[in-house]
Amino acid sequence: MLKKARAATTVGRPRAGRGRATLVALPWLLPTLLLIVGVVLYPAGLMVYTSFFKYNKQGIRRSDDPIGLDNYIGPAGALTFPGVPIGRILLNTVVWVVVVVIITVLLSLLIAQFLNKPFRGRKLLRLFIILPWACSVVMTATVFRYGLQENVGLFNRLLVDTGILEVGRAWTKDPTSAFWIAVFVAIYVSLPFTSYTILAGLQAVPTDVLEAAHVDGATATQRYFQIVLPLLRPAIATAALINIINVFNSLPILRILQETPGYHTGHITTTLMYEYQRALGPGVSSALSVLNFLFCLVIIAIYLVVVRPTKEVD
Amino acid sequence: MKKRVFKIGAVALVSAFALSACGGTTESPSNEGSNGSAPAAVDPANLETEISILAPSYADSSKSDWDAIIAKFNETYPKVKVNLQIEGWDGFAEKISARIQAGDYPDILNDNAFAASADAGLLYPIDEVVSADTIAAIEPSLLANGVGADGTQWAAPDIASARMLIYNTDLFEKAGIAAAPKSWAEMEDAATKLVALGDGTVGYGMPLGSEEAQVESSLWLWGAGGTWVDGENLVADTPEAVEAFTEMKKLHSEGLTQPKLEDNRQDVANLMHAGKLGMIVGHSQIVADAEAQGINVALAPVPDKAGGDGVTTGVTDFIVAFNNEDADRKAATGALLDLMYSDAMYEGWYKGTKLLPVTTSMIEKAKADATTDNEKGFLEALSIVKFLPVGNTQWDALQTSLQGNAYRVGTDDPAALLKEIQAQVDAQS
Repeated sequence: MLKKARAATTVGRPRAGRGRATLVALPWLLPTLLLIVGVVLYPAGLMVYTSFFKYNKQGIRRSDDPIGLDNYIGPAGALTFPGVPIGRILLNTVVWVVVVVIITVLLSLLIAQFLNKPFRGRKLLRLFIILPWACSVVMTATVFRYGLQENVGLFNRLLVDTGILEVGRAWTKDPTSAFWIAVFVAIYVSLPFTSYTILAGLQAVPTDVLEAAHVDGATATQRYFQIVLPLLRPAIATAALINIINVFNSLPILRILQETPGYHTGHITTTLMYEYQRALGPGVSSALSVLNFLFCLVIIAIYLVVVRPTKEVD
Repeated sequence: MKKRVFKIGAVALVSAFALSACGGTTESPSNEGSNGSAPAAVDPANLETEISILAPSYADSSKSDWDAIIAKFNETYPKVKVNLQIEGWDGFAEKISARIQAGDYPDILNDNAFAASADAGLLYPIDEVVSADTIAAIEPSLLANGVGADGTQWAAPDIASARMLIYNTDLFEKAGIAAAPKSWAEMEDAATKLVALGDGTVGYGMPLGSEEAQVESSLWLWGAGGTWVDGENLVADTPEAVEAFTEMKKLHSEGLTQPKLEDNRQDVANLMHAGKLGMIVGHSQIVADAEAQGINVALAPVPDKAGGDGVTTGVTDFIVAFNNEDADRKAATGALLDLMYSDAMYEGWYKGTKLLPVTTSMIEKAKADATTDNEKGFLEALSIVKFLPVGNTQWDALQTSLQGNAYRVGTDDPAALLKEIQAQVDAQS
């Protein structure tokens, strides 16, 4: 069959040939397609569907008629529930994504550059840098949470014993300070992956080009900004995009490090979604989830338009 | 291609349903007992079905405590398979939601709330499942807590705890306080003296974190002579509630409580166990742990505004039975629960939880066995306790809102805060 299909293309009926080739490929594609339909499209459809029905807190549907946009902007809607500082939370979300991704990428550029230099113990160092990635995010966040506990936390003890603080602070019980600690932890756990992606990009930079530039008298700065960095563009683009999506949807870090209950000013939309799910049930939570998805798309679109990461790649 | 996807999807779905349905087998439905006599109508030796229990972990022994009952049950009902699922309290509500949403209702659920499931029509009235004798065995004042807003006995309490003022007698002596405070004024006075001892001593532990906020704020509300209940509704922004929250704010702003009001009960209990806390409202576990640490504590009713009789709050957890529309499972469920509440089984089970019993006979026995004043105090309080309005369908919303907001009384205006809590409750009804 495969032979026939190939023959068909060579005879010059590309359209029919392609259709046939698709058909032939189908059995191989089918598992993937099923998987995509089953774990991506179906849940996404169900989510949108759920967001138009009224549920109670336990997730029992209370009426069979759709309730329009009530879960979005009704009295107990995702955007309008009383006591939720929704403007601040949207702002937090943007700050969270932008700050974490930019700092992660900048630091990773430095780390990758360093790891690319030959020196004794480089392998060992590379191993150490990958460690935060190998640990579970929940575990890492929990270590920080315990360390920052007000009375017995080790980080607090260190700060008090060195005289930086007079008494231990309840870092994770203040929405703002907990938010920034979460930013720090998010950067910490995102660094390994980003560094390694960029390191892979660095290793693909041809040495002869660099040597040629050197011979032509380009300074180290010029060589970095005019040769290395442009060549790294695809690696940075991949790393940044994956980080944006990852960071945006990251629930555990903020969830664990925020010990303040309720709808405080340290939420991002993803943690708010979790809060809604517990307090108001899957209807409102799905509504916010739909908005969250659109919001994530907008951020990615802005990134693609402003940074044009694919420029000069093709 | 589309068709094929659908076909395979359909096959997958059908097989999933078939798998998940294998619990409720095909036995022809036996006579549906209209009253509590259902279990007696079937022959124990031939009843063949499968039921499931979802219960929280009260202590490390919780699983073996249930297993003991199940083993005994299987002696009379050898063909009933009982599946036991024990989960930690942390995130227990989510576990229940997950099973409800999957349509996999546990036949027996041990939980601290029932109103939402009852309102959604998922439950059997419990007096339709268990025998009349079992209902009669439960202390009436506790049993009343399982009645829904519609007057139906949806749930049966299975374990109780009373909350009282626990105070550190050594600290009281050191600070020169003669007796436990009875009024808010005496309480402020005592707390001021305790804080004056220095060395990080805290006067009163006020846990308003997501775990206990509803209990703590209810106590203050009751102390001010108020209640959440207004006819069929629950109301948060009453004048009494404002008064109660103002008093809570006062204690915090004068530095008499722990610095962070969003602490959970355990955070505050830790202070108690370290000997750094003068007063806390708590249950028997906190007393037991404190005594184990060598801290001397005594009990008193929780002070109220005017220094009257004080208030004592009770919390009961419940057994509810989900309606799986299967007479055999219902019969097996009833028989298992009757066995569980029998003195022989119940004594071991409730002792495993380290909390208080709910059957009249066991309360009497425990009173007779109690050796210390602290043990007796909680048991005696059981017959006079006040309960949270757990039977009201709005309670879920109010409880969640209190858990998420009550701690803000430290920084916000009490009246405005209560208005916001009320707005959150209103938005959901």
